[in-house]
Amino acid sequence: MKLLAFKNNVTSNFKNADYKKIASKVAVSIFRYAMLIAVGYTVLSPLFQIISNSLKSDADFMNTSVTWIPTAAFWQNYADALFVMDYWKALLNTLIVPVLSGLIEVVSCGVVAYAFARFKFPERKILYPLLLLTILVPVRMTFLPSFVNYRNFDFFGITKVIGDLIGKDLTINLINTPFTFYLPSIFGVGFQSGLFIMIYIQFLKGIPKELEEAAWIDGAGPIKTFIRIIVPSSSVAILTVSILSVIWHWNEYYLMGLYFNENQPLAVSLSNIMNLISLKGGDTINSHTGVAMASCMLFILPVLVFYLILQKKFIKSIDSVGIVG
Amino acid sequence: MRNKKVTGIERLKVRYGRMFALPWTIGLLLFFLVPLVESIAYAFSDVSLVNDDMLSFAGLKHFKYLLQEDPNFLDNMAEAVTSFVFSLPIIVALSLIFALILNQKFRGRLFARAVFFLPVIIATGVVMKFVTGEALNSGAALSTAMGETESYSGISFDQLLINLGLPQSVTELLADYIARIFNLVWSCGIQILLFVAGMQSIPDQLYEVSKIEGATAWEEFWFVTFPMLGNVIFLVLIYTTVDLFTAFDNPIMTQAYDLVSKNSVYDRSSAILWGYFVIVGIIGSLILFVYNRLLMKKWN
Repeated sequence: MKLLAFKNNVTSNFKNADYKKIASKVAVSIFRYAMLIAVGYTVLSPLFQIISNSLKSDADFMNTSVTWIPTAAFWQNYADALFVMDYWKALLNTLIVPVLSGLIEVVSCGVVAYAFARFKFPERKILYPLLLLTILVPVRMTFLPSFVNYRNFDFFGITKVIGDLIGKDLTINLINTPFTFYLPSIFGVGFQSGLFIMIYIQFLKGIPKELEEAAWIDGAGPIKTFIRIIVPSSSVAILTVSILSVIWHWNEYYLMGLYFNENQPLAVSLSNIMNLISLKGGDTINSHTGVAMASCMLFILPVLVFYLILQKKFIKSIDSVGIVG
Repeated sequence: MRNKKVTGIERLKVRYGRMFALPWTIGLLLFFLVPLVESIAYAFSDVSLVNDDMLSFAGLKHFKYLLQEDPNFLDNMAEAVTSFVFSLPIIVALSLIFALILNQKFRGRLFARAVFFLPVIIATGVVMKFVTGEALNSGAALSTAMGETESYSGISFDQLLINLGLPQSVTELLADYIARIFNLVWSCGIQILLFVAGMQSIPDQLYEVSKIEGATAWEEFWFVTFPMLGNVIFLVLIYTTVDLFTAFDNPIMTQAYDLVSKNSVYDRSSAILWGYFVIVGIIGSLILFVYNRLLMKKWN
């Protein structure tokens, strides 16, 4: 009885429905899943390969019949990787320098973006193209002058003038100190800052102006308005920028490698891992490739956990408001 | 009376704006414009790290060398520019398509998004070298010296295809295309993110209206989604330009970088980068010009 009713229902539905529409719907969903599987494969397969290689012993690498699944999980690779990278110390360095300066940027870029998104001041016409320029100019174009500037750091030449008056060299050497990263971040011109400012600007444009104007009429100053009105209503943008900023700073190795001879963060060790393995491990290490892959996993793991925890909120936040427009 | 008050607020707004922008302006001068101008100076000078006075004026010497004598520069430049011109529209179109797919409602959407955004996390950094296998090859010389013979070459599609029994020439062609698509997919993460975000901010009412008017999905895309994404497309164009410009596998970047890291030649490296920057700038502004002329006018 139930079945018959169901059948009737289905046939009547089919009668009413436009066959073409159903066909096109099926085609679209096949196309969609085909695309998703193709992309899923290109994105996930190298990751799985890294995981599988990180657990292979030297014998497994030599054995051509072993491709994906190692004969036995060779955890020694991870122990060796912890030693070669000096993992815990490097992790601490990573948290202190790049991650912290990434978090500083979350704040400083927001402040600058507020100026660009909300206020029309005459200098804006010059500063806005310059903002685009900061995004466009690659780090490699300016790193040597920057390096020289950090080595003999004088604030607009002011310290030099004072130093000349006193007769002492007051210029400071900032190389090997975290300030090579903190200072630009505080001023909102650090690593990838321009992009974060752009994201904030696009987002802030979407917050209704009435809120702030009401706050001004109530006698709140600009800073109070910013903290009380703007910050709470842009949690979505803050979340997005925080995730991108922390992760990109975590991954940054080029400038870190230049500005730090010692106390290097994880990314720098990883970029140089093959040499580190040969230097520190030498013959005692079973499989150089395996240890390199294990180091790579140890490097990704903290960010991956960070991303997976925030991922749901992140994707929902993109869903709910959108960071752009 | 009322007028005066309005101008008062306007003046306040100017002051507030300057106040919020001041720290950034100082930083811009100190950490960006000063090094930028100095790097221009490098391109026109001889840089020596040993002498006391680092710079001595050399005029157009480095540019002349690059254009007339350097065996690789023009080839590298041609390769970089053509790959830029080809990749830019493909990346923008591809990420728009992916974003459209991810924006639909279907089973497993959350998982699909999590996977799509993974390249955002990984593709920006040193891990990418492991994905492509480059990191291991850089130390390969050392490893073989130590008696290690194992080799590793990224993801070997070629081998898979050869196993399937395809002829060599077809395999090479296919592998080349797959490698390109692979690179493109990996460089689409942020663009997809920006597009999805932009699509989410298009008000639902517009779609409801277009449904009532009887628009097909195709018309809906061209008359609602696409025009509403104007700002995002601009952002994506800029980001993609930068990304391609600074990509680590870009031949010009490699040449300039190798000069610095292997030979400590800073002046010619600076000249290479500035030459490239100017050319990309010209192409970029052409794209923006066309974008403004064709698209914005049509919509407004």
